[in-house]
Amino acid sequence: MNSAERKWLPKLIVLAIFLSPILFIHPKTYITLTISGLAMGMLLFLVSSGFSLIFGFLSVLNLAHGALFTWGAYIGFTSFTLINKWTGWGGPDSIFSNIVIFLLALIIAGLLVSLLGIITERLVIRPVYGSHLFQIFITVGAMIVMEELVRIVWGPNDEVMPVPMNFMGSWDLFDVVVSKYPLIAIVIGLIIYFTIYMILRKTKLGTIVRAGVENPEMVQVMGHNIYRYFTGVFAAGSALAAIGGGMWATFVKSIHPAMGGEVIVFALIVAIIGGLGSMTGSVVGALMVGLSYNYVAYLVPKAALGITMLLLVVILSIRPTGLFPEGT
Amino acid sequence: MVEPILKVEGIHTYIGKHHILQGVSFEVYPGKVTVLLGRNGAGKSTTLRTIIGLLSPSKGTIFLRNRALHHLKPYEISRLGIGFVPEDRGIFNLLTVEENFRVAMLQEDGRSRGMMETIFEIFPDLKKFWKAKAGNLSGGQKQMLAIARPLVNRNELLLIDEPSKGLAPIVIDHLIDSIHKLKEYTVIILVEQNFYMASSLGNDFYLFDDGKTVHKGQMEELVQNEELKKTYLGISSKN
Amino acid sequence: MRKEALNPVQRFHLEEREIRFRNASFLLRMLLLAFFVFTPFLFRSFEVLDVVLKIIIFSALVASYDVILGYTGIVSLGHVLYFGIGSYLVGIFMGRLGWTTYGHLALAFLVAIVISGVLSVLIGLFSLRIRAIFFAMVTLAFMEFTFILSSQLRSITGGEDGISFKLPGILAIDFSYGKFLGVEFTGRLISYYLILILSLILFLLMLRFVHSPVGRVLQSIRDNEQRSIALGYRTYLFQVIASSFASCVAAVAGGCFAIWVRYVSPDSSLSVPIMLDVLLMVIVGGMGTLYGGIFGAAFLTITRAFLPKLQVLIASLLPGVPFAIRLSERWLFYFGLLFIIIVYFFPKGIVGTAQEILSRRKVE
Repeated sequence: MNSAERKWLPKLIVLAIFLSPILFIHPKTYITLTISGLAMGMLLFLVSSGFSLIFGFLSVLNLAHGALFTWGAYIGFTSFTLINKWTGWGGPDSIFSNIVIFLLALIIAGLLVSLLGIITERLVIRPVYGSHLFQIFITVGAMIVMEELVRIVWGPNDEVMPVPMNFMGSWDLFDVVVSKYPLIAIVIGLIIYFTIYMILRKTKLGTIVRAGVENPEMVQVMGHNIYRYFTGVFAAGSALAAIGGGMWATFVKSIHPAMGGEVIVFALIVAIIGGLGSMTGSVVGALMVGLSYNYVAYLVPKAALGITMLLLVVILSIRPTGLFPEGT
Repeated sequence: MVEPILKVEGIHTYIGKHHILQGVSFEVYPGKVTVLLGRNGAGKSTTLRTIIGLLSPSKGTIFLRNRALHHLKPYEISRLGIGFVPEDRGIFNLLTVEENFRVAMLQEDGRSRGMMETIFEIFPDLKKFWKAKAGNLSGGQKQMLAIARPLVNRNELLLIDEPSKGLAPIVIDHLIDSIHKLKEYTVIILVEQNFYMASSLGNDFYLFDDGKTVHKGQMEELVQNEELKKTYLGISSKN
Repeated sequence: MRKEALNPVQRFHLEEREIRFRNASFLLRMLLLAFFVFTPFLFRSFEVLDVVLKIIIFSALVASYDVILGYTGIVSLGHVLYFGIGSYLVGIFMGRLGWTTYGHLALAFLVAIVISGVLSVLIGLFSLRIRAIFFAMVTLAFMEFTFILSSQLRSITGGEDGISFKLPGILAIDFSYGKFLGVEFTGRLISYYLILILSLILFLLMLRFVHSPVGRVLQSIRDNEQRSIALGYRTYLFQVIASSFASCVAAVAGGCFAIWVRYVSPDSSLSVPIMLDVLLMVIVGGMGTLYGGIFGAAFLTITRAFLPKLQVLIASLLPGVPFAIRLSERWLFYFGLLFIIIVYFFPKGIVGTAQEILSRRKVE
């Protein structure tokens, strides 16, 4: 496919997904579904972008990514509960303090999990650079260990995820029900996406990372300690997974130790559809999956999962490497 | 007595189980272009990769003036002032020409900016296509970008691996002119199979065969020496 | 045929065959087989029988996975899908449709084999052409999808609760014939031997497959794909063949599993944890050695069955602090750590490393 076709195909698919449901769904429901679809898409983007970036830059398949997601959710849970106990900012008083506590919990989760990611990269991943096969094996082991650690520290049962009071419920705009939290999730997701975009495009660090996705050897030869960048990108990817985990838990209002495993399959599909190693691909893929899942779930509940698989099959048939090339 | 800027002694390098370099020794002097010649598979590219640190020698030493290089990592070696232009050029196609230079620039200061001016003089096309994606450049322009990039750090040594590969003769001529101008700014080690290019640019030469350096001398001598050319390069003036 | 009249390759095969029956490892394998045959007589406890049979079934399953992973070099993360298909087909025929006759049981196996073969060919044709790591993720996605599908289609698959069913005739739980050497001939016992025989046949088939000319081509593809392509082999066609063979074997193993537990559900036959188990077993045992599957299956199954007992013991010694109790309870945690250590130090698995040490000694 030449570069002209490259550009319009993904946009066409997204547009098709966006617009075709209008034919079947009442406009008001359509808006509600679109918002929850976009929110789900944003959360999937957070999880899958970390995985895609790590694969693109380090060429590492990290199957423990889902466990980092789970850890993010749990640390967010504990942080929120503790801070709320001390300050009560999670209560119904002010939306401002709600936002503060929510962001604090996410930031703490992101920082601690990126630390966990750095440790994992140093101990577990470094020895198996270069062999995708052994990366699969060893990260599966790491995933088991991390998940079990969650069970040991927090216990094996489901917990209810606390949500800041003002985030719950919905607004009624012109007779359309708009849930508050999904909207907040979309906003936060967009902010994160633009931050990453700016870093990658405008800063020297970002330029080096993009160069490294194309040719890590050359970046080394040009005087940059690529291993430090590897660790940094791994930490960033882990932080993204953690934030995704925290936000996802707030979305579904519960956490359990196996939650990573459930979401990782979706994140994997998003990463493959979008193209491994491409940030833009992650966003587009995530939105496609999120929107289509929500629309179909409303129309034909049992087929919701099927539409995601269908998307995977269709896109891989037209473009086996995913929608966008590495490094975009 | 002029001191060599680079001294390579008795290098042995393995790639996996294969004993590729079996005793490579040569010296590079300032103000001269040193050319490494030999057949395909003789070990020339492997030598460059060993110098820049992408491969680790199992035996032997490499000294940049008085600094030992053979145990260092590629990014450390590069920062000591050695630039590398690999066979596949190594440019970042998805980045613009400007961004390619950005990655290369280790310090963004007056010196680098001054060097950029010089680079633009020697390679005016790069200024013209400054904001274009590197992948959209022609073959010759890509090669120029690959060579110009490491210059921005005022490297004292520049390793160039087969720059004429895949280029049309007229483009090669253009390239030879440009590289001539570079001699003023950096010492060049050139690996080339194209004898015309090698003889136009080279001052000293080393012949490689089977992973060893087997012969050395001045370029003018080699041009006259039919026997050497036939044995080690497979070139014959009588066609 | 006189040895001198053969060409070098034939001579090599003849010599191979001659030593085969005389060396120590052959003896070991016969002993293992004898152990499996006489287990019901050696151990009267049902629990032990259950563990041993699970080892037998999983050995076949893991060996089939090894065929694609170790011998062909393809990483699939959805192999258990076919195991599930085999189980479910038996379960649906016997349970949902109520066709409890021997003929229908055999039919269930046949249909499972056909479906698995066709499905793996489709998936293979579709995804082996793109990068190999995609294959891993696509197969994982497919298996997850089928898992969720079977949880939702209550009418066919019984949903999350699954299907319980009865087996025909001599396999039925209430069948009893009399005693032999102190052991009662129940449906259970007969099922045990049926599964043992089936698994043995599967194992021999796999051995035959990897040592056949097709098998050798697969190994050459695994070792150096470019070379194989240059030699003229349509590599990805071979990969598809290997994949469908392995999935048919997995389907039969799945059917056997369903016969033994007389119950199918998404969690017991089709889930990601089972796939992880298989992965762990093949790594611990060793890739590219079918026998490694037996070791890996035994290691994991025995650990899983008896470690909890050890824990109860340890837990009774510790004070009632939840954290400390949980620390001892989650044996999977220690297993995960052990697993990482094994991958790191024994990349060829236990059996694989042992084979390497032995062959090195032979050379000396």
